[in-house]
Amino acid sequence: MKNYRLNPEEPQIMHIDLNSAFASAEQQAWPALRGRPMGVTNRISRECCVIAASYEAKALGIKVGVRRSEAMALCPSFILLETDPSKYTHMYQGLLRIMKDYSSNIKMKSIDEGVLDFHGMQPAMRGRSLQDIGYEIKQRVYAELGDHMRINVGIGPNRFLAKMAAGWHKPDGLDTLDHRNVIDFYKSIQLEDITGIAEAFGARLRAHGIYTPMQFLEANDELLRRRVFKSIHGLHWSNRLRGYEVDDYKTNLGMVGRQWVLSKASNNDDWLRSCLHFLVETVGMKLRYRNVEARGVCVWVSFSSGGGWSDKRMHKASFYANGDIWEKASRLFDRRPKHMVVRMMGVYLYQLTPSTRSQLGLLDDVAKKDDLTKAMDEINDFWGSFTLFSADTLTGTKNVKQKIPFGGTEYFDLLLKRA
Amino acid sequence: MNPTIEINERVDVVAVYKKRGDIATLCEPYLMRWHGREIKFTELALRHPTVAGKRMIHVFHLSDAANSYRLEFDAERLTWTLISMIPERPR
Repeated sequence: MKNYRLNPEEPQIMHIDLNSAFASAEQQAWPALRGRPMGVTNRISRECCVIAASYEAKALGIKVGVRRSEAMALCPSFILLETDPSKYTHMYQGLLRIMKDYSSNIKMKSIDEGVLDFHGMQPAMRGRSLQDIGYEIKQRVYAELGDHMRINVGIGPNRFLAKMAAGWHKPDGLDTLDHRNVIDFYKSIQLEDITGIAEAFGARLRAHGIYTPMQFLEANDELLRRRVFKSIHGLHWSNRLRGYEVDDYKTNLGMVGRQWVLSKASNNDDWLRSCLHFLVETVGMKLRYRNVEARGVCVWVSFSSGGGWSDKRMHKASFYANGDIWEKASRLFDRRPKHMVVRMMGVYLYQLTPSTRSQLGLLDDVAKKDDLTKAMDEINDFWGSFTLFSADTLTGTKNVKQKIPFGGTEYFDLLLKRA
Repeated sequence: MNPTIEINERVDVVAVYKKRGDIATLCEPYLMRWHGREIKFTELALRHPTVAGKRMIHVFHLSDAANSYRLEFDAERLTWTLISMIPERPR
């Protein structure tokens, strides 16, 4: 048999994924919706997108990203609800609580999936296999989160294979991928079925004669490193596919931002400025929540006719107050081509450093500004976010809805403080 | 379509306090009086906390075997509010 240099280690990583998390949570909460094709979206509008679909909806071809109009054409009785962050956070916290009972080394990858690392946990496992623990966790999710909630469990020697295993038999699956069966698994899937290989990477691999997962596995390391990925990522992929760990790293906070798809495309300057100002206030809130300050600010827009515009600027002194961020962002925003109709816009802050709010500045009355910001944050913390906000953001407050964070789980507490 | 019917009305509620296993005593609405009708709940589908500023709100999703209801208990004001409902056969 050919030597693929697979990792022979016994699997110690478990990936847990809540099935159709948001849609399942809604069906759990509303028994009248069980067994019906339904989904959730951030804000219901004519052309809004489905951000989670129930299994009944998926069976009809209504998947994540499908527009409401398309969904209604596929199924006229399709039900669409708006997202309810507190419900999903409750599910997230419940899943986290269960996972913490099995390993001290866990990491939530997003609101609905997490990884347990069992290295060094053998004494606590008391002789049980990871498969036994996986079935027990499934049972606990059913009992503690709700009898409509289901999870997929994947077990593997690294995070990548554990995640692939979790997606093998959906819904409600439990699979193990290791050196014993991974070759047969690769033979049964397509290139784009691999986690992390989407259309663009697939095209790049095909351009170098790699058409299948098996060809990807057999590809020369140098080819992957020098020609396909043109970086160390080529070697990372080689190791990842073989079951060696390359994804266990910590990321630093690089930027804090917010983007928004406009409910209706517009080039009305007052309206756009108010919405951007609102985005700036949410970003300022996130910045202070993470106890950091920024030196760089970037504003960007996408046009409905295609293309976009962006501008950014680094400043000598760091800033954290809403007024300072807005002053810098609005100056950039004024430079955009104002005749263009905007479809989407965003603002992000970068060059983040730990907060030095206690230090005195030379030019401004820093203490006064700091007291004002602190007082506003305390009022909003007590009475709910956006109890107190700039009058200029009134339009934005009405139009921009707080979204569910898909990637990170850092801002749940902040998200829940809305009055 | 969104079948949710927004109500937002204060209601009278009879609640029971159950001891479920080793978990702390759980408050569970048993019956609700709304517009002169008495609705007896048959299923507690989901209970979760949320906040309105610093006020703790307990959200209860319940069913009477036909319709589904969202009730909220304000732990500071000690009030029950029927927030919304979804009929068995959504409109």
